[in-house]
Amino acid sequence: MASAPSAQTSTIDCLICGTQNPYEALLCGGCSAPMALIHESVAQQREPRIISIVGESNVGKTVYLGFLLDMLTRRAGDFDAVPKGAYSVNLQQNVITHLSARVFPPKTPMEPDQWYWAYYQVCRKSGSDAWVDLVMPDMAGEALSTEVEVPQTFSVIRNLLGKTEAAIVLVDAALASAGSSRPDFFALKLMTYLDDMFAKRRRQRVKHPIAVVLCKADYCPQCFDDPRGFARTNLNRLWNICENRFENVAFFASSVVGSLGFATGADENVVPVPLHGAPRGVLEPFQWILDQM
Amino acid sequence: MALKLFTRKARGAIAMLPGRPAVRTSPSGRPVSGEYQPAERQALEAEPVQRLYQQHRFGVLVTERHRWAEDEEGRNVCGLAERRLEEEMALVPAGSVSMPTTLEDLPGSPEIDVEVGPFLLAIHTVTNECYQQFVDAGCYDELALWPEAIWPHLIELHDLTGTPGPRYWMDSRHDQRLADHPVVGVSWYEAVAYAKWVGLRLPTEAEWQMAASWRIKSEADVFRRLPWGDAMDYQRCNVWGTGRGAVAPVNAFPSGAAPNGVQQLIGNVWEWTASDFEVSDAKGRVVIGEMPMRSVRGGAYDTYFDTQATASFRTGQILLARAHNTGFRCALNV
Repeated sequence: MASAPSAQTSTIDCLICGTQNPYEALLCGGCSAPMALIHESVAQQREPRIISIVGESNVGKTVYLGFLLDMLTRRAGDFDAVPKGAYSVNLQQNVITHLSARVFPPKTPMEPDQWYWAYYQVCRKSGSDAWVDLVMPDMAGEALSTEVEVPQTFSVIRNLLGKTEAAIVLVDAALASAGSSRPDFFALKLMTYLDDMFAKRRRQRVKHPIAVVLCKADYCPQCFDDPRGFARTNLNRLWNICENRFENVAFFASSVVGSLGFATGADENVVPVPLHGAPRGVLEPFQWILDQM
Repeated sequence: MALKLFTRKARGAIAMLPGRPAVRTSPSGRPVSGEYQPAERQALEAEPVQRLYQQHRFGVLVTERHRWAEDEEGRNVCGLAERRLEEEMALVPAGSVSMPTTLEDLPGSPEIDVEVGPFLLAIHTVTNECYQQFVDAGCYDELALWPEAIWPHLIELHDLTGTPGPRYWMDSRHDQRLADHPVVGVSWYEAVAYAKWVGLRLPTEAEWQMAASWRIKSEADVFRRLPWGDAMDYQRCNVWGTGRGAVAPVNAFPSGAAPNGVQQLIGNVWEWTASDFEVSDAKGRVVIGEMPMRSVRGGAYDTYFDTQATASFRTGQILLARAHNTGFRCALNV
């Protein structure tokens, strides 16, 4: 847990990277996490649990996370959730505002100080009434890709994943179903990185829960019928490393756009247009992750 | 046609309340609990005119009644069919609609005004039970029902087991627990072919909006955002915010009906229309799909944004999309 501020020095340790920061700082000097998140954690007197949402650039991490958080605050399914601080609401507001206006939100910038962080207290409506503190950052796909290729480039990502208890790995099912091997290769690289981060000993399989989410599954409806079968066939490298190295993996299909159009103008730029929102399979991976944690 | 089709009375045999337990369906549309329960095959009447009635092809019997003008039994069946149409369809009076021409659906956005003549619209969307008749009659092999352009694709219009039928059926049978649910997982072509088979047609986009916004020709010049008024009400329709999370029977949410009794224009399933989907974005760029698109209207049980489940919200689907949340209802000229 982040240490309480020292009366003499008025400093506070970042719960992500451990950097000592001035108490009045807005962002952590080490990893750029919002200090409001650290203060909230200290106030709660318990360390939050980190779920990381990772995947290739353009796979839809921001949209997935924004929808998930919005659904949680709308008490979807079996959940109740309370955002801790206005900064936590910004991500879902950004996603919902854009998609309801039928525009995809802008890409997450590479710079960690411009990422959205979300700190939520979540509980199940049925069963246990215990609230769980969850931190879910929206990492830029390019930054994650760079860190995976050249570890230590983005220390914030390494520190974050080092503290992660569970991961939701997003994979572009639309590309995979179209025959591209790129999603499979990126997922393979990502899983080797997570293996490196999570495995306590080389011979042991990773125990962290990993939810593999096949995104944009509206393009390939068979994903919804049988996500495991789809992954085994179309993402075979990912499937194999999951079998070999990860003990607790589940596959899900997800989509958030009910129909996709393309705006085409004289400039010949083609802009994808989310014609209407119809989220499917957004809550299920999160629910599974919480069950495993 | 002398039909008494204008009434404010709620129709339908059973008044379903919004709180009725849903048959839970998976994201693919299949019931979650228990094994698939295929509907039994119905024995067909030997007499052709009786068979048409049995198959709910009331539109054929009424519009082609001259075929049985010399036959007393035929005339009687046609009379019965006319009464069934009176029960199952409602008159939408003449009026006008203002359809947004861009993706924005806000006051002041560009619109096009369209005059709509009177027509009849089905009170409910087509159910699995009704669509079963179409499948059982072998209509997927009846080329005359399908435009020639789609013939090469007919073989792809199969269910989960590879037999002809909607996307989420098995062995060409619907799950009998979903008999009174809207048929989903059908492409635009299947919707058009069914409507043709029963002697009806799909409504145009303007007709659909006319029915939902009820902007009839009157001095009041009323325009409704929703069939019941202007404010979203989760007790009156099945959208994401309702919390049901699954398709409901076609006669659930009766309080959301339009003034003429047409139900579920908002929510439950998107509805195919006969019209091309033609809009542009805020910068004037034309919006197209990967394939040609047709307009779908009304929103569905998983429509997340309330602003996308209104009388005037325009969106589209590619012609061959067989979505879990898209069905259709039929119309008929007066």
